[in-house]
Amino acid sequence: MEFSGLVRQHQAMVFSIAWHMLRDRAVAEELAQDVFLSLHQHLAEMESPEHVLFWLRRVTGNRALDEARRRQRRPMVSLENAPEPVAVTATGDPLLGTALRKLVAALPEKARAIVVMRYQEDLDPTEIARVLGIPVGTVKSQLQRALALLREKLSRSLGEIGI
Amino acid sequence: MNLEDELRSAFKRREPSPDFTERVLARVAAAPGRREPRPWIRWAVPIAAALLLAAGSLEYRHYQGERAKTQVMLAVRIAGSKLNKAQKKVQMLTHRSNS
Repeated sequence: MEFSGLVRQHQAMVFSIAWHMLRDRAVAEELAQDVFLSLHQHLAEMESPEHVLFWLRRVTGNRALDEARRRQRRPMVSLENAPEPVAVTATGDPLLGTALRKLVAALPEKARAIVVMRYQEDLDPTEIARVLGIPVGTVKSQLQRALALLREKLSRSLGEIGI
Repeated sequence: MNLEDELRSAFKRREPSPDFTERVLARVAAAPGRREPRPWIRWAVPIAAALLLAAGSLEYRHYQGERAKTQVMLAVRIAGSKLNKAQKKVQMLTHRSNS
């Protein structure tokens, strides 16, 4: 497939990983463009469409992690101190979605990357471990811990308003 | 409420700006330097390596042949000189017995 076709096919994935990691549209678009520029330089090494997909996820995930760590030097709110989300119960509710994204944004960078790969890209822990280059055990434990923290935050807010 | 379903819904993929592809292509066009490698280079390198290997192998066989030839010549020379000595001894003994 020609390069412009690859960009059109994968731009939503690349941009969304960066946006969900960084919560800044302009920075996420810039990062996504850099990733595609890099893909163009490595195009001759790509062996198959699956290889392109894996490569894009890995490079975007790692670059977004690096960028998140750079930005982390600025003071951020920890998950424990993050504001309680607005409580809503309907599945796919935009307010709950916003609240969840804010809570995930308060997670440590690696845990955030794992959550994004799990729920945006629907990857299992083994695939996440390959993409991010970390042990499967770390992926599983970080994912469990992140989910427990998110549940606790959400149930606390739902309990407060008696739902 | 199922937290994992809510997370899937909250973390759906989103599209970047409508002109995203065009901006990427413009940056690629403006990027200095690295060109795509010419297609013949991909074939030239293994072919050159194979030719070098073949030439090296021929040269080595030639060297081995030359070495074997030298050894045979040396062996022939040694055998010749031994034969000479033996012949002289035989002649001497024959001469003694005749006289």
